[in-house]
Amino acid sequence: MTQQPQSNPEARAGVSLTQDALRKLRRNRAAMASIYVLVGVCVLAFFAPVLPLQPPDAIQTPLAFAEPTVSPLFVKTFDLDVEAIGSQSEELRELRAEVRSRRAAGAEIEEVLRLERQIEDITQRPYRNAGFPVLGPLSRGLVQARHAVFGSRSLNSVCGRDKLGRDILSRIFWGSRVSLIVGLVATLVSVVIGVTYGAVSGYSGGWVDNLMMRTVDVLYSVPFIFLVIFVIAVLDAPEIKAWREEHGVNRILIFYFVVGAIYWLTMARVVRGQVLSLKNEPFVEAARSLGVSHAGVVFRHIVPNLLSVVIVYLTLTIPRVILFEAFLSFLGLGVEPPDVSWGLLANEGIKVITPVKVYWWLILFPSLAIGATLFALNFLGDGLRDAFDPRLRSQG
Amino acid sequence: MIAFIFRRLVGMAVVLLVVFGISFALVNAVPGGPFQGERALSAETIAALEKQHGLDRPLLEQAWNRITGYLTGDFGESIKLGVDVKDVILQGLPVSAALGAMALVFAFTLGLTAGILSAVRRGTGTDFWLMSTAAVGIALPNFVVAGFAILIFVFAIPLFPAGGWGTLRQLVLPAMCLGAPYAAYVARIARTGMLDVLSQDHVRTARAKGLSYRSVVLKHAMPTAMLPVVSFLGPAVAGVLTGSPVVESIFAIPGLGWHFVQSAFNRDYFMAMGLVMVYTTLLYSMNLLVDLSYAVLDPRVDLRET
Amino acid sequence: MQSRLLPLLFLLSAGLAGVAWIVNQGRLEPADFAFANETEVQSLDPAVVSGQPEGRIIWSIYEALVQLDPEDRSAKPGVAESWEVSEDGRTYTWAIRKDAKWSNGEPLTAEDFEYTFRRFLDPTTGAKYAQAMWYVTGARKYSQGASGLKVGDAVEIELHQRPEGALTHARGQMLRGELLSIDRDTGYEDAEVEAKDYTRRHSFLVAVDGEERRFHVTVEPSPSEEWQDCKAILLDFSEVGIRAPNPYTLITELESPTPFWPELIGFYAMSPVNKTCIETHGSPDWTYPENIVTNGPYEVQFRRIRDRIRLVKSPTYWNRDKVSFNVIDAMVIEQTVTQFNMYETGQIDWVPKVSPLISRELMAADPPRPDYNPGVQLATYFYAFNVTRPPYNDVRVRRALAMALDRDEIIATAGAGEMPARTMVPPGIPGYTPQPCPPEDIEEAQRLMAEAGYPGGEGFARVQILYNSGFEQHETIAELVRKQWEKNLGITVSTRKEEWGTFLNSTSRLNFEVARRAWIGDYTDANTFLDLFEGDNGNNQTGFDNPEYNDLIKAAGRETDAAKRQEILMEAERLLMSEVPVVPIYTYVSRSLVRPSIQGFWNNLQDSHPLHTLYRDDELTGPNNFMEDAVPRKEGSR
Repeated sequence: MTQQPQSNPEARAGVSLTQDALRKLRRNRAAMASIYVLVGVCVLAFFAPVLPLQPPDAIQTPLAFAEPTVSPLFVKTFDLDVEAIGSQSEELRELRAEVRSRRAAGAEIEEVLRLERQIEDITQRPYRNAGFPVLGPLSRGLVQARHAVFGSRSLNSVCGRDKLGRDILSRIFWGSRVSLIVGLVATLVSVVIGVTYGAVSGYSGGWVDNLMMRTVDVLYSVPFIFLVIFVIAVLDAPEIKAWREEHGVNRILIFYFVVGAIYWLTMARVVRGQVLSLKNEPFVEAARSLGVSHAGVVFRHIVPNLLSVVIVYLTLTIPRVILFEAFLSFLGLGVEPPDVSWGLLANEGIKVITPVKVYWWLILFPSLAIGATLFALNFLGDGLRDAFDPRLRSQG
Repeated sequence: MIAFIFRRLVGMAVVLLVVFGISFALVNAVPGGPFQGERALSAETIAALEKQHGLDRPLLEQAWNRITGYLTGDFGESIKLGVDVKDVILQGLPVSAALGAMALVFAFTLGLTAGILSAVRRGTGTDFWLMSTAAVGIALPNFVVAGFAILIFVFAIPLFPAGGWGTLRQLVLPAMCLGAPYAAYVARIARTGMLDVLSQDHVRTARAKGLSYRSVVLKHAMPTAMLPVVSFLGPAVAGVLTGSPVVESIFAIPGLGWHFVQSAFNRDYFMAMGLVMVYTTLLYSMNLLVDLSYAVLDPRVDLRET
Repeated sequence: MQSRLLPLLFLLSAGLAGVAWIVNQGRLEPADFAFANETEVQSLDPAVVSGQPEGRIIWSIYEALVQLDPEDRSAKPGVAESWEVSEDGRTYTWAIRKDAKWSNGEPLTAEDFEYTFRRFLDPTTGAKYAQAMWYVTGARKYSQGASGLKVGDAVEIELHQRPEGALTHARGQMLRGELLSIDRDTGYEDAEVEAKDYTRRHSFLVAVDGEERRFHVTVEPSPSEEWQDCKAILLDFSEVGIRAPNPYTLITELESPTPFWPELIGFYAMSPVNKTCIETHGSPDWTYPENIVTNGPYEVQFRRIRDRIRLVKSPTYWNRDKVSFNVIDAMVIEQTVTQFNMYETGQIDWVPKVSPLISRELMAADPPRPDYNPGVQLATYFYAFNVTRPPYNDVRVRRALAMALDRDEIIATAGAGEMPARTMVPPGIPGYTPQPCPPEDIEEAQRLMAEAGYPGGEGFARVQILYNSGFEQHETIAELVRKQWEKNLGITVSTRKEEWGTFLNSTSRLNFEVARRAWIGDYTDANTFLDLFEGDNGNNQTGFDNPEYNDLIKAAGRETDAAKRQEILMEAERLLMSEVPVVPIYTYVSRSLVRPSIQGFWNNLQDSHPLHTLYRDDELTGPNNFMEDAVPRKEGSR
């Protein structure tokens, strides 16, 4: 919502509305605690490469399904070949120069891509050998920093190990990097589409509403498994694959949009339902009679009143998206090993729950991580809802 | 009202047609076909099979055949199961619907009670614990809930059978697992809705008139507070009634849900299309019911406008 | 307000009553024996199905010429009470037993088998295992339909018109004659015609009773000036080596001596089907429980989709006195954990495939389980290279990759009692010694990579391992192979998972680099694993086409001396394993979990277990047949 103080009286109050809301939020202890938790989770996720954890993809098959252990607290298993990283730079410089000259000479794109892949492979090799998934430049820097600070020391598997002997704690941290972004981006995409669509549909009424809602009905029914398989097939078609590689569009990016595109539907329906009942409220009529445009009424007067519903849906959608990701990965879209996500961890965890043997650490610790985040989201959502609710405010 | 329903029925026909068109295109556009398998068939055999199922015709003709088929109640033959799709649906839908109905009753009663209680006792310990439980319900996917439910109620305390279909006892666990996340959602939504309503003018007026808090909540606030719940349940009902692949496979229940997933993996064109059409019809009907119930629950909504 | 809630309450109670009613519809008396039949069967038509769940049902409701022994899968009298082999090993004469009956009480005769086998070979039936009968003279050509015909062949033409008095779904009128010429349709003379469009684009000139007539195959009756329309043109069936000289004698003539022919003809796909039933109801209606006519130990009482198939003992089966269980439930339970749960709670008596994870726990159980005993199975898990794509067209690269594996680690981590395999053909086939692929040797692998131009893996293109989602094990193995190759060869490897349908499409179109595959032997002979990699075999799916190899497989087919034949097959496997288009990873084990009171259940190479020989012995104290050969397991072995 953009507020324009000079144009209407209610919006002038809007400035103080935000201040008022923040003040209220600060007083809400559960919400504030949640904010700290969420910020903590995000910071930990971001700095996961610096933490003295075992690499998430360091396979140690003799230790498969090892139980959680704290003795010794630290093990010296981490091994980053710093010399190799140092000695690469010369080779990489040459290769990059070659890429530039080839590009300038207008060489075949295939040829350039091949060289770029080679550069990437050489860069990643030391990290890969240490047990990391493909890392971006920033993460690589963080890993190096970690090596400089902690050396080969890393925390023992205090949360146990999985079927390949990988450290669960580390996988939870690295998984959070993927899952938080998936949850946030996909949910935001769905909120933006859903709220706009629902509000416009509900407010317009008549045939516009009818058409828009029937479209939603249609989209609800289209079998999304086929849709996803189709999207994957299109993405993997040779020409498009080449284009994607050239422009660096990976599957994860597409994945955000697919999830967002699937989850906005419910949001749109709910928002529309609310708008239907809101648009007959006196304050809407008042705003109209004051000459506020339709768009102004929808986005400045009605949408703020929807905030509570939207926030609740937001906090409901994020967990679903995080878990839905595991299913999309089953279909072949989304996270693939060696990357890891919370959805995949939960999925792996439940597979080892059988009557003969319960590897409880495989489900407990990922669940705790997901649960803590969702709890925090939940209470923050409640706090925000209360803080921003215009009616509660007018109540005093 | 009648005109409204009529208009929506016309809309339904249009929606069905559009859904059919898009799905038909998608189903035929994905790579692979129904006659591939771990053992490759010869070109002649595939040609013969395609001919048998009418898949050798031009796509438009196939689409037309399907549409006329649906109009006469012929859903085609499942390529993978060798039975009529109609039989699959007739056998599977009641099972899924029964399971779904149980799950919904469970979700609705539990969720609504918890939601309203938590809204009325806002800020207290009750509120906190109820909403925390709801958060857990949402956070845990139902395969996790099912996994633990089986360990506890089948093995640790042998109350229920591990799976299968045929007695009410076999229905309890799957219905609970299927309903749990919905109950959590309903609780959250009902609480929000209730809080909204409690701060509205007509409720405060009723309070001012001296009505008891209890009767205000139950008589004046609840119907309006249920709006978002109903709006959420509409699509959920269609989804729940047509089955859940996860819960059905964990508890070996012969519902429809599994077919939705399996027909896609098997490229069982007729099955997939038939299921989509049934699902669409159900979904649309449910949404229609939701819109009608808006009118019943909220006096401010005028159907002539929608 | 109350008036608003009332309808809601009413709806609620009506709904609950409905639920109770629907559930009650599903109530059943328990069966004598229930087992997890994994997935829903594809059909009850023996000709068109494939897969183990289907096999269990088909083998119970039908009986083929021979029965396969539950212990060693050798051929035992079935509908044929005995058989004779000619001296050159090519002609089998089957004596049909006189008391063999259909479930409608009618006698089963040699003509029924003639009908069955003709239908089985007819391309329009779409039999998935039709190839299994190609050993019969003329069968291959017959099953290839019009596209297999050559000028001069005797042909049969099926017209659209049905003969008078024939049943609704009977074959059309038949004409016979000699094929004079095959002509491309006008407009398609120079066009590329795909194999599956061959029939549609050609007309056939045939001499029928001395008269030259031109025919064209059409879907619907569509008369034309140029030709006469017909439903199908096939090789004349009298050219195929299947004859029924009298109701109780059936003769099959083979292209070459095929020592495993009696076992092969006992395969479920070759079970007899009832002509009257099929021609009355048509497909698939004839397979519905209310219509179906069968000849086996059991009849289908009903089929509840995705729930169960209930089998009841057949009152017309000739050997009904030896059938123990009256009612058997073949339950559809997809999830292996659910199967196990239901076994543990006593709802079912047999789980055919315990999941690897549970299997590991069961094998390590203390005290040892009295009901779990994995046995070797005739099946191989392997990785296939796409040899049409560089760098996998270089045999040195393939060998290097094959040598850089650590199978022991793979099995210790992802397996459950499987045996590491370096041979395509699993051990256990009598008279055959499997030939291994290059041994695991990392130094040699690195040397080979360097020789191929990739020292230390430098410059080697990224490898992508393709596998299908749905089975945890595939993913674990792919992860391990990725790590092993990366570590041992210094190359970059990624994994890619696809859902089943897309995966099948990718592998069959050679749209992969390295793919996970598996093959289950159809009969106890090395040939079932080796003819796969003939250049023109549809299941090859590696692009491997080696003339020398193709010749060896063909030579083995012609060889009459059993020992020599095995030698040739071994030679072929040696060649295959030195060329390594495929890298064997492990040999499967069967993972049946069988209640100790069940007798008549044995482990066998094909992991195939007839139901009608099972019986329950509650008095049983010692181990049952299934557990007899169980080796006492080592403490804590995994």
